[in-house]
Amino acid sequence: MTTPFRIMSRRHFATSTGLGAGAIALRSLLAEENPSQSPLTTHHPPTAKSVIFLFMSGGPSHVDTFDPKPDLTRLAGQDVPESIAKNVPRIKRAGLRNLLGSPWEFNQHGMSGLAISNLLPAISTHADDLCVIRSMTHRNPVHGPGECVALTGTSIGDRPSLGAWSVYGLGNRTKELPSFIAMNLHTDGMQFPQAAGWNAGFLPPRYQGTLVSPSKGILHAELPEHVSTTQREQELSVIQAMNRKFYSDTQLSELDARIRSYETAFKMQTSAPELFEINQETAKTRDLYGCESKQTGEVGRACLLARRMVQRGVRYIQIRVGGWDAHGNLKGNHEKMASRTDVPIAGLLSDLKRTGLLDDTLVVWGGEFGRTPTMEGRSGGRDHSPSAYTAWLAGGGVSGGQTIGTTDPIGYTVTQRPVKPLDLHATILHALGINPKQLVFDHHGLKETPLGVTGGDVVHEAFQPA
Amino acid sequence: MPARVFKYDAATNQRLLLHATLLVCLLATINRAAAQGLLSSGEWKRNGLASERFTINGTGGRNNPLRKSLDTPYDDNELFIRFNFRYQKDSLDFPPETSGEFFVLWLDEDEGNDGSPHAANVPNLGVHVQGEQNRFMARYNSSNQKFGPPLEGDRDYLVVGRLWKSSPGKHEPFDQLSLWVDPQEPEEFKPDIAVQNPKSIATVRWIGFATGAKTEIEDQIDVWDFQLAESWRRILNLPAAPVDPNYGPAMRKPPQKKTVSFRDDVYPILKKNCFPCHSGDKAEEGIKLDEHDEVLQHVSPLNHSGSQIYQVVAKGSMPPEEPHLTVSEVEILATWIDEGLDWDSSLLPTPIPVTDHWAFQPIVRPKVPSADADGIRNPIDAFIALKQQQAGLMPNPPADQETLLRRLSLNLHGLPPDPDTKRDTMDSSRWLSSPEYGQHFARKWLDVARWAESNGHQHNRDRKHAWRYRDWVIDAFADGMAFDQFIHQQIAGDELTPPTPAQLTATGFLAAARYSGNELDKQIQRNDILVDITNTTASAFLGLTFECAQCHSHKFDPISIRDYYRFQAFFVSGQPQNLLLDANDTTTRIAQERWRLFDGVQQRLTYVRRKQGHPEPILVTPSNVIAQMRSEERKQFNQLNEQLAQLDQTWGFYSPSTSATRLTVTPHEMRWQLPHSEAVLNRLRGAILIRGEIRDRGPEVDAGWPLVFGPTPGNAQTRKDLAYWLTAPENPLAARVWVNRIWQWHFGRGLVETSNDFGTQGTPPSHPELLDYLASELMEHDWNTQHVQRLILDSSTYRLSSDHSAHNAHIDPENRLYWRWTPRRLGAEAIRDSILAVSGQLDRQRGGPGEPHESNRRSIYLKQKRDKLPDQQVLFDSANGIISCSRRRVSTTSLQPLWLMNSDFMQQAARKFATQAGNVETAIKIAFHRDPTDTERKILGELARDQGLSSACLAILNSSEFLYIP
Repeated sequence: MTTPFRIMSRRHFATSTGLGAGAIALRSLLAEENPSQSPLTTHHPPTAKSVIFLFMSGGPSHVDTFDPKPDLTRLAGQDVPESIAKNVPRIKRAGLRNLLGSPWEFNQHGMSGLAISNLLPAISTHADDLCVIRSMTHRNPVHGPGECVALTGTSIGDRPSLGAWSVYGLGNRTKELPSFIAMNLHTDGMQFPQAAGWNAGFLPPRYQGTLVSPSKGILHAELPEHVSTTQREQELSVIQAMNRKFYSDTQLSELDARIRSYETAFKMQTSAPELFEINQETAKTRDLYGCESKQTGEVGRACLLARRMVQRGVRYIQIRVGGWDAHGNLKGNHEKMASRTDVPIAGLLSDLKRTGLLDDTLVVWGGEFGRTPTMEGRSGGRDHSPSAYTAWLAGGGVSGGQTIGTTDPIGYTVTQRPVKPLDLHATILHALGINPKQLVFDHHGLKETPLGVTGGDVVHEAFQPA
Repeated sequence: MPARVFKYDAATNQRLLLHATLLVCLLATINRAAAQGLLSSGEWKRNGLASERFTINGTGGRNNPLRKSLDTPYDDNELFIRFNFRYQKDSLDFPPETSGEFFVLWLDEDEGNDGSPHAANVPNLGVHVQGEQNRFMARYNSSNQKFGPPLEGDRDYLVVGRLWKSSPGKHEPFDQLSLWVDPQEPEEFKPDIAVQNPKSIATVRWIGFATGAKTEIEDQIDVWDFQLAESWRRILNLPAAPVDPNYGPAMRKPPQKKTVSFRDDVYPILKKNCFPCHSGDKAEEGIKLDEHDEVLQHVSPLNHSGSQIYQVVAKGSMPPEEPHLTVSEVEILATWIDEGLDWDSSLLPTPIPVTDHWAFQPIVRPKVPSADADGIRNPIDAFIALKQQQAGLMPNPPADQETLLRRLSLNLHGLPPDPDTKRDTMDSSRWLSSPEYGQHFARKWLDVARWAESNGHQHNRDRKHAWRYRDWVIDAFADGMAFDQFIHQQIAGDELTPPTPAQLTATGFLAAARYSGNELDKQIQRNDILVDITNTTASAFLGLTFECAQCHSHKFDPISIRDYYRFQAFFVSGQPQNLLLDANDTTTRIAQERWRLFDGVQQRLTYVRRKQGHPEPILVTPSNVIAQMRSEERKQFNQLNEQLAQLDQTWGFYSPSTSATRLTVTPHEMRWQLPHSEAVLNRLRGAILIRGEIRDRGPEVDAGWPLVFGPTPGNAQTRKDLAYWLTAPENPLAARVWVNRIWQWHFGRGLVETSNDFGTQGTPPSHPELLDYLASELMEHDWNTQHVQRLILDSSTYRLSSDHSAHNAHIDPENRLYWRWTPRRLGAEAIRDSILAVSGQLDRQRGGPGEPHESNRRSIYLKQKRDKLPDQQVLFDSANGIISCSRRRVSTTSLQPLWLMNSDFMQQAARKFATQAGNVETAIKIAFHRDPTDTERKILGELARDQGLSSACLAILNSSEFLYIP
């Protein structure tokens, strides 16, 4: 549906259905979003208005990307040295035999000299924008629960996702699109618990991420083929007339919210399809993201859509790219995943920078865990390893070209400045102007915050010049 | 050095008799052919050069002084050999000056004769020359030989060999040979020598010892204690590997024997040094060291150095003033912690918590207030009217008959009334005795039971037989099952005598817990299920949120961490399984044979990989197992699966040690499932997990309900005991919680709004006396749920109109005192079912496995896979089937209108509805059960005229009136 709708105003509804203007004024006090639950002014001045979380699902290997370990190459084939082995948490999958050197070389990049492996040459050109946290850590080595830990703070999958907390705290910047949009790419084998990553948990469901397909857009947003705009307008005016009558008898705010939801839906029928018209972008821009190439097309399109969403006021965009689970052939798997993501992500950073959006858009990259420095079995791959892994931030007030935290000489455990997923969440919320300790939701009398019972702290170094 | 002259005493040699008692051990594994001795029972065939203790002398040439045949030729996949061995020091000589030494044990297909070489692709274990030394050796031939440690003279050695096939199979070669010298128990996969040769023999028929050209006649070699076995532990005469399913491989276990006594050693220290401040109600900082549960919060089990209690006394920071503990006192405390923190509860019993919280008080039948108002139809109205009068509210008049009919129909059946339903069908019993009622109300309980038809978590495999529980719940509602039965069967169906198929099916409540198929840590995997079952059972039947107490005693409610794990202990010896219904010997045999076949192949593959040097843990997935079955195995496996698929099964909960009869467990699809053996389940014990950490397993506990409800009799250890306690008249919660749910299911909100939380953090009841009145009615009417429902449905309170009233809304804007009926949106299922019904598409067929989402059957029958719930269910706030959902939220998002207007489902429904109705007037009557208003005639008529009747029908289906219970 490319023809824009004529947007019906409230007055238009009022006059077209014979209801007086007074009734409209009364209803307008009852917002669809309940402002009393949201601090619509932030706790402190934000450095970011929007977040793009590039979630690399499956567990990208930190020692092959952003955490160089020359000793791993030196010790290849040997067992994990006792001095490190004693610190490796006693969790399943933490193999201690047969260290596997990285197949990739690390080089220093940019003015900062940040070390990135040659697996990711395009992202490397943005080294000076990246704040690399090498000391991410938690204890859950299983994908589903691990992803819940990474995105909701606990492994159960029943708490709100970081995105849901963000939009709960900030409210809408746009009424024409959902405030939290999730896109899932390369999802072979993806199953339920991962949905917790964009769910609302105990927050009201309206805060959950709206799942959209980068190619198909928002579900049911387009008019059926045989329905004309005129028909839809007429249908809508009848629906709204009947619904206003039903509302006027009962004065239930929920029924007013229904009326508003039809107005928003009506706008989304226009704005949502427009959002997905990436042909509005120049060929040069589309190329920047690799939209036209077979390998990079899917991630590229999603990254370009993310930039368009940011421009249209979407608060929180989560792009989940599955497939990093390199149990077998590490080299083949990571080369494939790099070929899908490196150019699009670098393109996104370039484009955000070019348009000035990077100043108040926080880009986050990371997975549910890293991978063991040891080989898994005889497979040539690495197993899951949550005890130390890497995430990075860029834009949104973050100081680039720096690293935070360190790991041991083979990258198995954190040696300095451990950062838990909830610390990362606190940091992202902080950039959005939210003090996570003061963002409270009353859940059956329990005062819940995004930090749950275990708590988390802002990684303030991320915002200080390196 | 050259061999010294040795006097060969032929006479002595002749005197010696062989008493070859060759111990032969076998794995007790099933279906092994050579179940008895591997070697023939007869004597060794020997020539004159083998003597007592099998002293062997060389001949300076190839000789086989000692050999024996096996009872049955051995062609299975693996054979261990051991013998003790001593080489006289004087016999040793060394190259290059002399030839060195040679002595081997061979394993061959043929006996040969005294001079046969038994070389060239025949496995040999022994000693031979390498360089300038005599070394242990394993070899097939001179190019497939490897050497181990050097041989020392006059020393007793234990030599162990393993001969095995890397490709299992009768006719495959024994291509792998390993040798250990003096092995220790953990060295199973660390042999001193390992050598390969694909051209080896495939069958062992004969074994024997051989000397060679390097073995002089003076050389004396002793061998004794010769054995064959099929496993490492057997060959080393070790007991079967100890497996305690309560502990994971990396977990410490408390020692069996304690060296300190709590009463005699520990208690006096605590009493003298700690209790002055840390005991009783006024304990410093609330730390009460006279309570075991509190002590547990300050220790790391079996690890004194990680325990706060130990740390503070060892440092001397506690007690804060002199005298500090003596070194020996500190040591006693350390030992006490390391030995498992024994406690003497006769000396220091756990105090029974006291609470004045309303929900823990006994249910007392209240007096019905004297009715002094119009429109009082039954006692419910009297309780409601009293509060309204106190608040100054004027309740609405009754709703009109059409509205009431729609209210009853949508509320009780989840469907609009048929257009020809007469107004005289207001009798509540009529609505409660129909299958539609069961189908609609069952869904409400399924929300609470967090039921779904897949495992959840990452792999989320289907539970093919879980649908039977859904049908059981539907039947339970439709048949008016008494609520005490409803509890007993769901919590303890397998423990009832004898369990009927329906009762077994009812345990699907417990079995609905999620089950992670990708979890390798069995402790975590089992604990996750137990936590789910504990929390769900507590909130569903007791209305208590136990989950906090999993890690620490509940901060608000009188539930301690001990209470939590005692409650959990009711479930600890069982697990979710597929169970055969109506099992008999034949069908049981089919199931057992299927398990045996699968498990056998899995064990075989695991073993082979281990021997191939794969690091632990060795993981063989079900697809590996099936892929690597031998063809005859796979054929049998497929046949058994086909036979099993024909049998009635249910996804239920079963604990072999407490079930009334032995049940037959059938396989379910899953990658890493819990062990299904009875032996494992029977050994499981409840224990307190300190801070909820699976690795910090604290003291074991018996099963029991929370102490606040009084002591649990020592013999009340089964789920049946728990179920009967729940429905005992003294139980203050089960009846209250249930009638509150019923109230919520009719009015949209419970008298206690937090219907899964009756604890201090929940909301207090708006009408406590009414709640107790209904609970009393339930119990006094034999737990008849429908009796309570009829009271509600027949009340005036249920029948009020929903009209707005400024006066009342000012006093009670949330309608907590029921001055009107609050309209509420239909649930996701009722929305879809109503649309299918009015458009004439609804398929009313009942029961059976989950349907594809395109089906036109009622939504309760659509397949409930945890990650893939039907679209409209997700869109309209259905329960997620993961955690117990006591009350669905109603969200209003703009994605809902998009579905209601644009989806294929709705577009088709609108067209069919139009065909069904034929005109606007009829469409309104079908959808709203009333005549159209003039405005509706006008605007819908215009829409139908301009855009077609289906367009008008779409508008009707989008109307709040259609989608709300009026």
